[in-house]
Amino acid sequence: MYCRIPFDRNKGGGACLTVNDNTAVKIENVSKKYCKSLKKSMFYGMKDIAMNAFGLSSRSERLRKGEFWAVNNISLEIAKGETLGIIGPNGAGKTTLLKMLNGIFWPDKGRITIKGKVGALIEVGAGFHPLLTGRENIYINAAILGMTKKEVDRQFDSIVGFADIGDFLDAPVKHYSSGMFVRLGFAIAVHCDPDVLLIDEILAVGDLGFRVKCYNKIVEIAKNCAIIMVTHDMSTMARISSRTLVMNNGTALFSGVPDIAIQHYSSIFQKEKTVVSPGGISLIEFTVDAKTENGHFAITSGAPMNISLKFFSEYNNDYITLILAFVHSSGEFVAEYNSWLNKEELKLPKGNHTLHLALEPLHLNTGIYHLSLVITTKNRMGHLLVIDRLLSLFVNGERFGNAPYQINGVVNHIPQEEY
Amino acid sequence: MNKSLQKITVYEPDNSLKQGYLSIFIEIYNEINKNGWLIYQLFKRDFLALYKQTFIGIFWSLLLPIVSIGVFVALNNSGIFNAGIIDVPYPLYAVIGLTFWQIFSIGLVACSNSLVNAGSMIVKINFSKKSLVIASIGQPILSFSVQMLIVAFLFLFYGITPSSTILFLPLFLLPVLLLTIGLGFIFSLINGIMRDIGNMLSMVVTFLMLLTPVLYAKPAHGLLAGISRYNPLYYLISIPRDLFLTGKVTELNGYIISCIFSVFIFFICIVVFHLTETRVAERV
Repeated sequence: MYCRIPFDRNKGGGACLTVNDNTAVKIENVSKKYCKSLKKSMFYGMKDIAMNAFGLSSRSERLRKGEFWAVNNISLEIAKGETLGIIGPNGAGKTTLLKMLNGIFWPDKGRITIKGKVGALIEVGAGFHPLLTGRENIYINAAILGMTKKEVDRQFDSIVGFADIGDFLDAPVKHYSSGMFVRLGFAIAVHCDPDVLLIDEILAVGDLGFRVKCYNKIVEIAKNCAIIMVTHDMSTMARISSRTLVMNNGTALFSGVPDIAIQHYSSIFQKEKTVVSPGGISLIEFTVDAKTENGHFAITSGAPMNISLKFFSEYNNDYITLILAFVHSSGEFVAEYNSWLNKEELKLPKGNHTLHLALEPLHLNTGIYHLSLVITTKNRMGHLLVIDRLLSLFVNGERFGNAPYQINGVVNHIPQEEY
Repeated sequence: MNKSLQKITVYEPDNSLKQGYLSIFIEIYNEINKNGWLIYQLFKRDFLALYKQTFIGIFWSLLLPIVSIGVFVALNNSGIFNAGIIDVPYPLYAVIGLTFWQIFSIGLVACSNSLVNAGSMIVKINFSKKSLVIASIGQPILSFSVQMLIVAFLFLFYGITPSSTILFLPLFLLPVLLLTIGLGFIFSLINGIMRDIGNMLSMVVTFLMLLTPVLYAKPAHGLLAGISRYNPLYYLISIPRDLFLTGKVTELNGYIISCIFSVFIFFICIVVFHLTETRVAERV
């Protein structure tokens, strides 16, 4: 139940959340439209302003010519202590949604209700003035980020400590290295003490030491704060977030646990298989001893894999090399089977052939992979057959690591004698 | 932490319209009241950025009026330019007029460009955009205060005692400020959407100065006299100037109407700005 309280608002209208005391952010059927043409956008902008200025509604729920929904009908609820990851291809509307949550843009349809103070790590250091010193910029930037003088005075040493830029504190920001710039910006932003923290691609900055520091700080903040994070870095997202929203073309494709979300995300990029056969070899049929899940083959990480391939060859091919390439859905080439390197002497004379391949246990990280097949001449110079995206493979597993290949190993802990 | 004390924020289309017009004034008041420190910081940022890499710093603001008045005095003496019949020494008359005028001209241009200049900040951080516009007037006010040194010097130099009304100078400045900030609010919005305004404005302001009796006395008749009759800037600048210099006022009615006009413009513009500022953030 929502009830309205007039006059109690920062920018938006007043309402009180009574539905769930722990809810920090509530997004209800939120949509936002954009206009592709700059000139039209100017015209519509003037028109909307005129309508609003005269106290008329701008009828924002309707699309005009040249407009499209950048964010379309998104509904979500995020509780305190929860971390939501938002993933999706470029132009999916992730950043627009984040900006609406931040109050920079208002939705054209629907409603966003936020409880408490919103902090944003959208682009740290935005608003730094290059001529001013770090010290001066701390005060100015903190004020822009909504901190009061008292808060900044109290937190100043902590900000400086976190940024760790030494003597440069009193040097103009334009003399900073890009790393120092980001460190100072980040240090200010994380000291805002927000109830809702919005993060946009922020963890990919600075050197390793600082990244670890940022990561730990975010985990620390996350305890009494709702975090909404937009990222392309699946492994960070899977580690930090408790829930993931997959967006594509402005709509919500999926919302749920991170590893299933990643599968949905990967399926956006699914492309058609392409066959190039310059050597007169064609693949008639293939079988994989794995179960199929909605069009994908699914195997468990750490299981062996058997593939049968039935070819027809038009010509007598002397020694050939067969290559199976495992490509992660992000496009990363992660593993390869190469018959030549395995010292297999394969020949494909004219006629039908069936090749059975028994692959060792694959300890691939959980996710979606494509298998591509390449047959080359023995010296691997001439291509006889290339099948890109022959099949897609779901690797299921309980483990979700960072690297594409997860190594099995045992730790033998030998206790040291204590002195 | 007491959860019931946490502020609830709602974003939805046409939010203010649903709230009713009266609440808008309270919202605006609260926003400006809350952001006093932010306004000061933004002003400090502009100020430091402007003079940090200069040697003489704020004294640059002394140079412009001295040079331009110097030119006009020279033109006046050589008979090329006729300032009209002025009872007081021309430099004193011109400097007071020019300092008042610059509050308007520099202030209006600064306010109008404030949103565009902050462009990347506006689309990345949610903060009070009114503070940005208001902070832009700080710089002209500061320059004005420094320029008062010239005025004080000229009073001493000519041995003229200003009328005691000069003690109420800040009060006489207020209508000019309200008019400037008010127009600044509107132009900053439009400038955010159409950059033509920013380009046009500095030109228009120069043109306006020639039309307004700032550096010359209002002619008794002719086209300029007619325009000045309906030019609120003429009253807002001339009346305080006459008052300081001679202690006598001639066109009090015009002044009062101009003051009311300024207050009116200020309120209309700030309400329009409040209702439409998020629309601009999308398009800056």
